[in-house]
Amino acid sequence: MSAAPVLEVQDLHVWFDLGHGRELNAVQGASLTLARGERMGLVGESGCGKTTLSLALMGLLPPNASVAGHVLLDGVDILAGGEDSLRPHRWRDIAMVFQGAMNAFNPVKRIGSQIVEAMELHDVASGRAAQARCGELLELVGIRAERANRFPHEFSGGMRQRAAIAMALSCQPRVLLADEPTTALDVMVQAQILQLLTRLSDELGLAIILVTHDLPVVAQTCQTAAVMYAGRVAELGPTVALYDAPRHPYTRMLFAATPDLTGTAGVASIPGAPPRLDRPLVACPFAPRCDSVFGTCRERRPPLLTVGEGHLAACHLAGSVA
Amino acid sequence: MSAQAEGLVVAPRRRLRDNAVVVALRGSHQAIFGGAVLSVVILIALLAPWIAPYGEHERVGEVFEPPSSAHWLGLDDGGFDMVSLMMFGTRVSLIVGFSAALVAMLIGGSVGIIAGFFGGRTDTLLMRITDYFISIPDLPLMIVVAAVWGRSLRNIILIIGVIYWTSTARVVRAQVKSVRERGYIRRTRVLGASNMRLIVRHVLPQVAPLLVATSVLMVAYAIFAETAIAFLGLGDPSATSWGLLIENAFARDAITVGAWWAIVPPGIAVAIVVVALTMLGTAIEDALNPRLRVSHVSVRRFKLRAAPPRPEDET
Amino acid sequence: MRSTEYVVRRIAFAFATIFVAATLNFVIFRAAPGDATTAMRCLSCTDEVRAQLRQELGLDKSKFQQYVIYLKDLAHGDLGRSFQNRQPVLPQLWQPLKNTLPMLLLGTFFSILFGLITGVVAAWRRGTLPERLSVWTGLAFFSLPTQWLGIMLILYLADPLGLPTNGISDPYLSFSNPSLWAEFTDRLSHMVLPSLTLGLVLFGEYTLITRSALLETFGEDYVLTARAKGLTTWQVVRTHAFRNSLLPITTLIFISLGFITAGSILIEAVFNYPGIGLLTYQSVFQKDYPMLQGAFLVITASVVIANLIADLLYIKLDPRIVE
Repeated sequence: MSAAPVLEVQDLHVWFDLGHGRELNAVQGASLTLARGERMGLVGESGCGKTTLSLALMGLLPPNASVAGHVLLDGVDILAGGEDSLRPHRWRDIAMVFQGAMNAFNPVKRIGSQIVEAMELHDVASGRAAQARCGELLELVGIRAERANRFPHEFSGGMRQRAAIAMALSCQPRVLLADEPTTALDVMVQAQILQLLTRLSDELGLAIILVTHDLPVVAQTCQTAAVMYAGRVAELGPTVALYDAPRHPYTRMLFAATPDLTGTAGVASIPGAPPRLDRPLVACPFAPRCDSVFGTCRERRPPLLTVGEGHLAACHLAGSVA
Repeated sequence: MSAQAEGLVVAPRRRLRDNAVVVALRGSHQAIFGGAVLSVVILIALLAPWIAPYGEHERVGEVFEPPSSAHWLGLDDGGFDMVSLMMFGTRVSLIVGFSAALVAMLIGGSVGIIAGFFGGRTDTLLMRITDYFISIPDLPLMIVVAAVWGRSLRNIILIIGVIYWTSTARVVRAQVKSVRERGYIRRTRVLGASNMRLIVRHVLPQVAPLLVATSVLMVAYAIFAETAIAFLGLGDPSATSWGLLIENAFARDAITVGAWWAIVPPGIAVAIVVVALTMLGTAIEDALNPRLRVSHVSVRRFKLRAAPPRPEDET
Repeated sequence: MRSTEYVVRRIAFAFATIFVAATLNFVIFRAAPGDATTAMRCLSCTDEVRAQLRQELGLDKSKFQQYVIYLKDLAHGDLGRSFQNRQPVLPQLWQPLKNTLPMLLLGTFFSILFGLITGVVAAWRRGTLPERLSVWTGLAFFSLPTQWLGIMLILYLADPLGLPTNGISDPYLSFSNPSLWAEFTDRLSHMVLPSLTLGLVLFGEYTLITRSALLETFGEDYVLTARAKGLTTWQVVRTHAFRNSLLPITTLIFISLGFITAGSILIEAVFNYPGIGLLTYQSVFQKDYPMLQGAFLVITASVVIANLIADLLYIKLDPRIVE
């Protein structure tokens, strides 16, 4: 990568205070970099911390959360000042599209006014100009501009999601976080949304982090992928590399567990369950379920090691292959 | 056959102590406060004849005598000791409150269960009737009935109970509907259990906790209503309730004389009991529906922390 | 359903409710122990006079026939004659109603205003001291008996503020040839304490209602989206949460109308304020049953109409309702 990354996450930790002295360590030192126009898939089982990580990038955390680490946006640490340093960048630089099933739109206000709201808030446009731009954005995602005057319940699920993408683009952000954008939408609509995201990223140079538990989606849409486990990044690299030559046993077993429509590989599920995050973890968190576990795994936490061009894996075995 | 079917279908009983609702309540400040106050009041009601300094109808001095060391809250419009009257008043107020709530619960609960369980036209009809009753204002209706049918304690209890059944009915119906759709009800039905048995053995236990919560709140309403009815001269003149104390004092010009001791204590007592019951009732409701109160709005913010030491250096 | 269908349905429901109330009126009185003549203080009635009265009141016909006659009279606006003054009931209800409404509106207006403000602040600043205080204060005012509050105001507020505590106007004022302004302020001063009592009781309830309605919206997804867009906490509350909680708040405010009518009866009794509430109270004492029935019907009709207005407001507040 010659150009500087647009987003760099360094050693991010997130804790949630559960009361009575207990604490949940949802993200335990995650790091990743994102280049301009890059689409990265963030995958993992539920509870692995991928949603928390994406929310943390925008500072959308509840008051019982504590954060450590750095989030560099074009080299500037926007996390350093907490909520105050993060808020100006919301939507303007980093925007988010939530899960397909959620009510991202306020049901008693018209779609158009909610898109315009973002633009006026960040002084991107106002009044007539904002409305015109709103129309353009809707057309960009394949919705007729005059639909802006309708209420959310008049839109189908797929249309609402596309409108949410339009709203996310309204202030021309550099990074788009898409958290399970196609869940609860039917397959045809899913494909449309993914094509849309790919097109936008290619045409506008938009960097996208696609959070999902659906591996085929990542294979289709993303150039790179990061696999998370127990609040940490287990493996990170080009999607092709992760599919063809995974270097972390979890990645390998995860892909093996995915029903493959093209091949005849059997469905293998990973036995066991992820570790509890409200207790401190020593050693490799995947050790209890790993099929390649050996002595060191139960003693020391594996560091994130470079195993190829832009390919890292947090496994004691990864360093052994030259 | 049916006994075996019952064995298959009835859920194993867990110890009451471990029940999630009870645990939640034990940790709730509101429930504890409400429960404590209520216990104290009930205790006073039960022990009144023994702990009251003077008799309920015992004249011990002049009308509206001010508080003194012998009579901490002075005397009322008949020369009776206020402290004793307050204690005896506890009995009537609580009796009316609980009895009326019981009536409301029985009627409302039955209507709710029938409507929710049988659904269809029965449901629509019952709910339509309930809606009408909800629209008609409570106190005016109570006044009309009390005026015509006479002032007795029994009438008051019935009136309050009959008029307040509506909210119970709605709430119970919603709960019954959701219970009815549960798998084990359907399966039991297929196995041939009668409706009555289904209702009593399966629906009722599920609905009971909610009924309890609603009843507690109903007691609060009932006590409040009794106070209002007594004030309008429609209460039972022989039953010394707190409401009646306020009415007697007011009617006998306590205001002009400035005899605050005859008016202030009953009002505060009612408020304390109503607050306690409200807190207890809402705490039970919340314990039954543990809604994870997610909130995306807060004036407080997330905190920043120093990064913990890294276990290893990365290449 | 479309707007017109919704409106028609709600109006039909309103009529039906009033009809049910009127029927209740009939049933309650006819089912009472004894009949209307024993209820009337007819101490010196001979049997002949009694028989004549019975015929006059139509008590010699079957219950069903009486019911039909009752409904027909009602449709013509005939609510019977007062036992007290033998005059038709309906015309005697207007003035008291006109007296009560300003007092109610004044009290309700201020309690909604302050209740909303306090409720919003309490929800917004959840978990802080101002919130705890607002909740406790609201709960306290809500739980104190209305009549007791009125009496407390008389005892402790009337003299220091120089406010009257009885009736609707100064009976001696007219002797001094007062100006319109003097009359107006006189009326207003008599309304202050009753309205304030109502206001305090309702304020408590509305604070709690507003707070809980707002807290419900705080967990909604679109609120998270609003925050993600970069709005400050206050902006989120103001433009999204509050707007959406107006529907449940309005619902609950209109549900409290029953409470308001109860309150007005008690308050007018305490302050001897000549409104529809006092009329209800007095007709109970005087056993003037036609008057009592008339007042009950009028009060019920007012509540039903207010509920109807609320239903029609919903169309504006929540666009999903007419879908």
